[in-house]
Amino acid sequence: MNLEAVIVGAIVGVAAGWLIRRWLAAARRRKEGGCAGDCGCATKLKPKK
Amino acid sequence: MSTPEAGLLVALVGNPNTGKSTLFNALTGLRQRVGNYPGVTVARKSGTCDLGDGQKVELVDLPGLYSLAAASPDEQVVIDALSGNIAGDRRPDAVVLVVDATNLLRNLFLASQVAELGRPVVIVLNQADVAKEQGLRIDTELLSRRLGGVPVVLSSAWKGEGILDVRRAIAAALDQKAVLKRVNWPADIAGALAAVGKAATADTGKQVSVADAQRLLFDTNPSTAERLGWTVAQRESTLRSARDRVRYSGYNPMAAEPLVHYAHLRVVLEGVVTEGLGKAGQTAAVDRLLLHRFLGPFLFLGIMLGFFASVFWLAKFPMDWIQAGVDWTKAVVAPQLDAYPMLQSLLADGIIGGVGAFLVFLPQILILFLFIGILEDSGYMARAAFIMDRLFSWCGLNGKSFVPMLSGFACAIPSLLSTRTIEDPKARLATAFVVPFMSCSARFPIYALMCAAFIGPLYGPGWESLVMVGMHCVGLLFAVPTAFVLTRLVLKVKPQPFVLELPRYQMPKPRDVVWRMWQNAAEFVSKAGTVIFAITIIVWALSYFPRDASVAERIKAANPTAAEEVVKAKVQAAYVEQSYMGRFGKAVQPVFDPLGFDWKITVGVLASFPAREVIVSTLGVTYSVGEGAEADSQQLRKAMQDAKWSEGPRAGSPIFSLAAVLALMVFFALCSQCGPTIATLAQETGGWKWAAGSFLYMTTLAWIVAMLVYQGVSRLT
Ligand SMILES: Nc1nc2c(ncn2[C@@H]2O[C@H](COP(=O)(O)OP(=O)(O)OP(=O)(O)O)[C@@H](O)[C@H]2O)c(=O)[nH]1
Ligand SMILES: [Mg+2]
Repeated sequence: MNLEAVIVGAIVGVAAGWLIRRWLAAARRRKEGGCAGDCGCATKLKPKK
Repeated sequence: MSTPEAGLLVALVGNPNTGKSTLFNALTGLRQRVGNYPGVTVARKSGTCDLGDGQKVELVDLPGLYSLAAASPDEQVVIDALSGNIAGDRRPDAVVLVVDATNLLRNLFLASQVAELGRPVVIVLNQADVAKEQGLRIDTELLSRRLGGVPVVLSSAWKGEGILDVRRAIAAALDQKAVLKRVNWPADIAGALAAVGKAATADTGKQVSVADAQRLLFDTNPSTAERLGWTVAQRESTLRSARDRVRYSGYNPMAAEPLVHYAHLRVVLEGVVTEGLGKAGQTAAVDRLLLHRFLGPFLFLGIMLGFFASVFWLAKFPMDWIQAGVDWTKAVVAPQLDAYPMLQSLLADGIIGGVGAFLVFLPQILILFLFIGILEDSGYMARAAFIMDRLFSWCGLNGKSFVPMLSGFACAIPSLLSTRTIEDPKARLATAFVVPFMSCSARFPIYALMCAAFIGPLYGPGWESLVMVGMHCVGLLFAVPTAFVLTRLVLKVKPQPFVLELPRYQMPKPRDVVWRMWQNAAEFVSKAGTVIFAITIIVWALSYFPRDASVAERIKAANPTAAEEVVKAKVQAAYVEQSYMGRFGKAVQPVFDPLGFDWKITVGVLASFPAREVIVSTLGVTYSVGEGAEADSQQLRKAMQDAKWSEGPRAGSPIFSLAAVLALMVFFALCSQCGPTIATLAQETGGWKWAAGSFLYMTTLAWIVAMLVYQGVSRLT
């Protein structure tokens, strides 16, 4: 294992982890009845109970 | 900005498009979306408002509505907010009624209904500048007196005039708690209301307010009864006899409420407004032309053609600059890393090649949104909806379907949220189902790439805009029959009247238009820096690995006499083909073979599921890795023009033939592939059934139509 492979591996790993975390967070926000922040829907809804 | 803990709560209520959100922004310093058509705001939004004396209150902006007889989900938001029904929410301590100063009678109907809630009220006569221009003079003092002493102020929220008066008036209302004068109900109606209130209180054990009793008596929609828990069996006979009583007194129970309110308001408004000399609006004259039965659609088409032509024309130079910048960056960065080929490829082919391919479209997106903003703010967009109405009412959708469909051309997600303005749940479902057919702005880059690389060079700029308009119509073309089948045959939606109120024409307001454009640009760039960036890295990794040395050796051994450059290119191409991405793409490619897609396009189609724009950066990466980083600063366009089939029956012929280019665009116009849209659809329709149905339907349809286009066009050419 050389340093180059480690750096590239880390970058790819961080990118993948970040994407997964983001999708999980979006799914959670959607479940709460709000908008997940895609496409200019900045309006956060109050969850209706 | 923090919300004051358990502080006072003030709600903005009024008819659609009167300027509530504009006033909200002026009072709170926030930037809530405004637009010149009804139904912009569909959910509540709160902020902190200073009353001018250091006192702070929480202010909520709400969707617009014409009457408290709420029917649609967005109107229900207002009713809930006014009665404090949402858990964790309080009843507002004061209500600011935002009224269009040029149309007092109709706007005050809602005020008169709100009066029944008995909350302290401020009346803001907004758009005072327009009223003044039309020569209307309004005696606010007289109006205030007639309405029982509630503060009445004039404002021009957009110009920022009268905002301080509004702040003071809110403070005064909270202080003095003046309530609006209520209407005098004729004795029989008053008796019927009392009877309903008493019976409901007795049956439910809850305190039923006068306002609730009115909703129970006058509305056919059962939401109030359901909220109170008054069952059908309990209420049926009470309501029938109460309504009979109203009928015997000479009123139709369904029309009694507006009749009584309007009679009351005519007395209130007597002598309040004096008409002087002013410019009458030219709206009517302009509309006679633009909304003409036959001319209207043609003018619309002409405007759209001009629109896209100028997007291309204006964006050309800035795009070339960005392209040059991307090429330059690549040329500077790549040689620094000659010792580290893997890192070099990640940076040059992956990040710069992929994200760069996407960023090039920034100027077009900017100009696109600038024009959309101008059309919207001027009031024309709502007319476009009106022109389409004839088509849409035929297929069972109504006026309220247009705002969602129209904004679907920007992005499906907010449009799905704005279907909440539609009362009938079935009509809402049908609209939500066809909204993703509208060609959203994320599909724009792939159309633009295809036009710039193939349509433009081959057929000239005229065809570019024609193809662009065509692509935006393809979705519509299939949305209409889909809606027809859905509303008429599957859901059996009852036909509904056209209810879109056409806004006034106005000079587009540079501040609003530029702000809108700016926001979209910021979103585009931040997307490039986040989602697209991350996906690009992953796409790169999958297209780069594995890198077994034996592949290169085999190629070298097979071409012992070839020049070094040629061998290098062959090695790069061989590596990509045997990468994870290459293997996967080739395994799936047969599915898309009838559409003329090679494995790189196939991979692009699949990778763009999270966001459609990704197709452009995926093509950027796969072409870039396949060419080798150091050799070139070749542009994606050029690489695609030169791409040829390497094997199979089409070997040697260009991959991007006219047929394949058109098929690819049509596929993107119709397919359902943005994950967030499907998730939002599931959220808004309350389950995965419709979302899954939409995905299957759209994807199958896209495949079939693109296949027909490819097969048809390749036989013709
Ligand atoms: N001339 C003029 N235009 C105004 C004024 N206030 C708002 N507008 C315009 O009126 C249009 C509607 O404004 P919004 O604030 O979106 O209206 P709204 O009441 O929030 O509308 P909905 O959310 O759809 O109910 C926009 O084009 C504003 O620029 C004003 O005082 N004068
Ligand atoms: Mg609004």
